[in-house]
Parts: sequence; C-alpha cells; structure tokens
Amino acid sequence: MKGLLLPLLNTGLALLLAFALGAAAMWISGYDPVLSYGSMLATPLSDQTYLFSALAFSAPILLTGLTFAVGLKSGLFNIGAEGQAYMGALGAVVAAYLARDVLALPLAVLLGLVFAAAWSAVPALLRSWRGVNEVVSTIMMNWTAYWLVIMAVSTVFANPLQPEESVKMPEAARLTPLFPGTDLTLAVPLAYLTAVLIYVFLRYSVWGYRISISGQNPTVAKAYGIRPEQAVLVAFGIGALTAGLAGVLQVAARPPSYSLARNLANVYGLGFDGIAAAMLGRGHPIGVLLASVFLGILQEGARHMQIEAGTPFEFIRVIQGLLILFLALQMLRKI
Amino acid sequence: MIDILPLLLMQALLAAVPILLASLGEILTERSGVVNIGLEGIMLLGALMGPLAVDYLHDRAGLHLPDTWWPFVAMLAAALIGALIGLLHGYISAYLAGDQIISGVAINLFAAGAVAYGIQAYWGVAGYKQVPEWAKADPIWVAVFAFVVAGVMWYILFRSRLGIVIRACGEDPESAFNMGVDVNKVRLLATVIGAALAALAGAYLSIAYLSVVTKELSAGRGFIALANVVFANWNPALAVVGAFIFGFFDALSYWLQTLNLARYEITRMIPYIATLLIVAGVIGRARPPKAVGKAFRRE
Repeated sequence: MKGLLLPLLNTGLALLLAFALGAAAMWISGYDPVLSYGSMLATPLSDQTYLFSALAFSAPILLTGLTFAVGLKSGLFNIGAEGQAYMGALGAVVAAYLARDVLALPLAVLLGLVFAAAWSAVPALLRSWRGVNEVVSTIMMNWTAYWLVIMAVSTVFANPLQPEESVKMPEAARLTPLFPGTDLTLAVPLAYLTAVLIYVFLRYSVWGYRISISGQNPTVAKAYGIRPEQAVLVAFGIGALTAGLAGVLQVAARPPSYSLARNLANVYGLGFDGIAAAMLGRGHPIGVLLASVFLGILQEGARHMQIEAGTPFEFIRVIQGLLILFLALQMLRKI
Repeated sequence: MIDILPLLLMQALLAAVPILLASLGEILTERSGVVNIGLEGIMLLGALMGPLAVDYLHDRAGLHLPDTWWPFVAMLAAALIGALIGLLHGYISAYLAGDQIISGVAINLFAAGAVAYGIQAYWGVAGYKQVPEWAKADPIWVAVFAFVVAGVMWYILFRSRLGIVIRACGEDPESAFNMGVDVNKVRLLATVIGAALAALAGAYLSIAYLSVVTKELSAGRGFIALANVVFANWNPALAVVGAFIFGFFDALSYWLQTLNLARYEITRMIPYIATLLIVAGVIGRARPPKAVGKAFRRE
C-alpha cells in the first residue's frame, strides 16, 4: 500500500492545480467558475440518468485508454487509438449496410476489429521492420483514417434519409439501454470487463510478462530469450482490438442515433481522451478504468455546464491537458 | 501541365514554411538533448494567439499602431506563447528530469482544448474564425525569414563554438558538463527557442497562409515536422530540402483538389501517406543525438 500513496498524492495535487488553474482561465474569459464547476460535477452525481450517461461516456474512453496503456507497458507511445476507433466505427457501419438483421451485430464486431487491426498493423510493422517511430506513424494513420472514414460515410454508406449521418444499425442488431430512458447499454459492462481481462492478461499470462519486461528493459528481455519486437507487435495488436471495439460500440451501442455522424462527432477525440485516461490511471488497467469514469463524469458534466453556466464544452479538454501536464511534473518525489 | 509547374512549386514553397520553421525549432531542441513532441500543440496555440492578441489590442484595448505593424505584433505574441510553453517543457525536461514524451503529449492535449475553448470563449463562434485583412502578413516574408533562420541555425550548429556546446549537450552531456557547460541551461534555452519557432509556424498558418483560425488548423503538420527532423538527420540545411518535399505533397493535395479528378477526401490523405512512406524509406540512415530524450543528472 505504501507504494500507492505517493502516486495518489501526486494525482490529487495535479487534480487540484488543474481545476484551480482552470478556474482562473474561466474567470479571465468571463465565465463563472463556481457555477461552472458546480453544474459540471454536481449534476452527473445527483441524478441517476445523468450518472448512467456519464458511465456511457466512460466506456469508449476506457477502451482507447487501454490501447495507450498496453502500449506504454511494452515501451510504446501508441497514439493510434484515435484512427483505429474511426476504423472500428467504419466496420460497424459497413456491417449495418451489408446485413439488415441481427447478424449485423457479430459482423460489426468482426469487421470493426479487423479494420482497426489492419490500421494498427502499418505502424506496428513499420516499427519492427524499419524502426519507424510510432508517434509519427500513428498520427499519420489517424489523419488518413479521418479522411477515409469521412469519405465512406458521405458516399456509399451515407444515410439517404438523414444526410448528416451514416446508415443506421438495424434495430435487431442494436445494443439497447439496460435501463429504459438512459444511455447505459451493454457497452459499459463490456468495456469494464475488458479492462479486467487485460489486467489479468498483463499480470498473469506469459505474453503479459513478455510485454512488461520488454517495456521495462529490452536488454534484460533479450537476455531472457524474449524478443521485444514481438512483444511490441502483440501490444499493438491488443491496442487495436480495444480501440476498434470502442468504435464499434459507438455505433452499435450508443443511443439514440446508432450510426456514425458524418463529421465523426461520436468517435472524434476518443483516442486523445483515452491517452488522458491512461496517464491519469498511470497505465494500470484498473487505474485507467477509474480514470475513465472520472473523465466520463466530466464529459457528461460539461454538457450541463454549457447549458447552465454558458461555459464552452471544450473547457474539459483544457482541464485534461493541464491535468496531464501537472502529472508529468511529478511534483512530490518523497514523502 | 508544364505551365502549372512554377505555380505548384510556389505553392509547395508556401506549404513548406510552417514545416520548416517547426522542424528547425525541433532540430535545435533535440540537438541540445530534449525531445518535444508537443510541436503540433504549440503550433495550434501560436495560430490562435497571433490573431487573438492583435484582435484584443486593436479592437478591445483600442491601441493605435500603423497598419503594417499588426502582423509583426501577431507574430511576436505567438512567439511569446510558444516561448512560454517551451519554458515549461524545458524546465520539466531539463531541471525536473520529467518524462519528455508525456510532457509533450500533455502540451498537445492542452493545446487542442485551449484553442477550441479560446475560439469559443473569445469570439463566441464554434471553431472557425476569419483573420481580419489588416492583421494578415505576406507569406513570402515569412518564407524568407524561415530560410534565414535555417542558414543561421546551420552556421551556429556546425560552424561555431556555441554549436559545439549545444551539440555536446545532446551527444555527451557528461563531457559537456566536465568542460564547464551548464547542460540544463543550454537545454532550457534551446527548448524555449525551438518552441517559439513552432509557434511562429502556427501564426504563419493563421495570419499568412490560410487566413483563418480553426481548432484543427495545424492538421498534423507538427508531426510532419517531427518526421522531417528525422529525414533531415538533424541538419537544418537538409531540413530545407525535406520541408520542401513534405510541402510539395501538401500543395499537390490542394492542387489535385482543384482539378476535381477525385473526391477531396482522397487528395487530403496524400500528405500523410507520403510522410509515412518517406519516413519508412529514410529511417535507416538517420542518427539521432545520442542523449536526446534523456535527462542529465550530476551524480
């Protein structure tokens, strides 16, 4: 437990400073920090519908957060979850286009994961064959996916009835709310279960061990007969599956639209929220889970903040950035 | 086709400027031993701060200046915000021995939020603001400035004593320290200057090149600049060549768009795919400074 105290204190301090600096920024730009924070934090926690909505926001953030966290374990800075989530969502849209019944759901998962894995294979192979740094290559893949998926949902997979979105998931293939009137679908427990599975995988499986050792010290890994390049490939692969799943679920399990917005609004930024969740959760799957619930509350809260205090929704991204910056500072090093 | 070529090359030159400025900054920073992957975010902040500062001084504070001064004021404001972020990143990287990649990622996240928020909070519009005519700079002058910086930086890095000091901090900080160099101070200053140049690249985008502020204005150019640093093998002279190549694909993408041969989404992918291919092709011969990304601690 002693090893946990310092990180917790550092995280608490970073949270405090990020919110304090955020309040100053809000005050300078003419918004009311007290009212803003009040509606942002109190509303999601005071009403069950809003709380469930916050949990619904947390699911995709957790899944893309796991992409970054697993990468980090193997020594990677895999920031490709953004584009891989777009590709996952595209897979679900293609499935919705091909199958008009319940079959669309398994097909969505299959295609989504395959598309995302294909998207992640490029930076993964470039890294292991040519030593290309993954930060640059994954960002390039993200932008390529951005334009590719926008083109796909504006053309072949456009919804003739609603020009601003793609074809919808067939009704039989949708994951509907577990509690009527809320946004909470099976996506949420599924995402949380994934985090637990990845925790068990990293902690107890042979490959999990190989990934951790390769990330901590590639030289030692080699001395043990572990090939770090292979561990990196596995980490890329697992990351692609969780990011792809995030994209699939944003289409198949996100009421009310059950489609992909033409401007990608329901998947845009997921990868970057995931990075924030992974860093806030210190790369530990369960930590990422807790962090994603927190960020989900902020996301839901920000909608109320915008309505009640007039403060722009984007403000939470400012808070997230400040938070990670303060975490990077590692203000406390000894107790 | 032949008569379009000069125009296309001109467009490539204009598209090369932001990539060149940001890569030059990063070359200086990495030569001193600090890696800053927050270039993209710093560019975005510069792109916002330039127009925002002059708008504030001109419209809200009512400052009277000759019209030709405003673009310089905008550039200066951008450079200042860049330097400020550089100070933070440099301090974390050098003095606090923090994780430089995490700090860079945090800068990118913060900037993406701050720029979207700033546009909304200051102008009250969602993510898109035209730059007023009086604040615009002539892109050619910025291009000239970028080439001068490239020349000066090449001279300093490879032909002056100061350059030996800077490179020593990135290659072998222990020896530099033993020769009496304040390694962390050099690294901090190099990071500040590097970030200021990245912010100027952003201001160029908003006040000279695209004449608009949006929350996605940099569109990956900060990361293309990182690719160019590798392509140029950390040499400012080669960075000019690289920036021109990367700029060419950017210009090509816009030019093909005007021809209506394919959907614009396809042409918009060109710069990113080209960057991937170029980086994959040159990576073997690139040799980064030995101590880049590693904090220097005296025992």
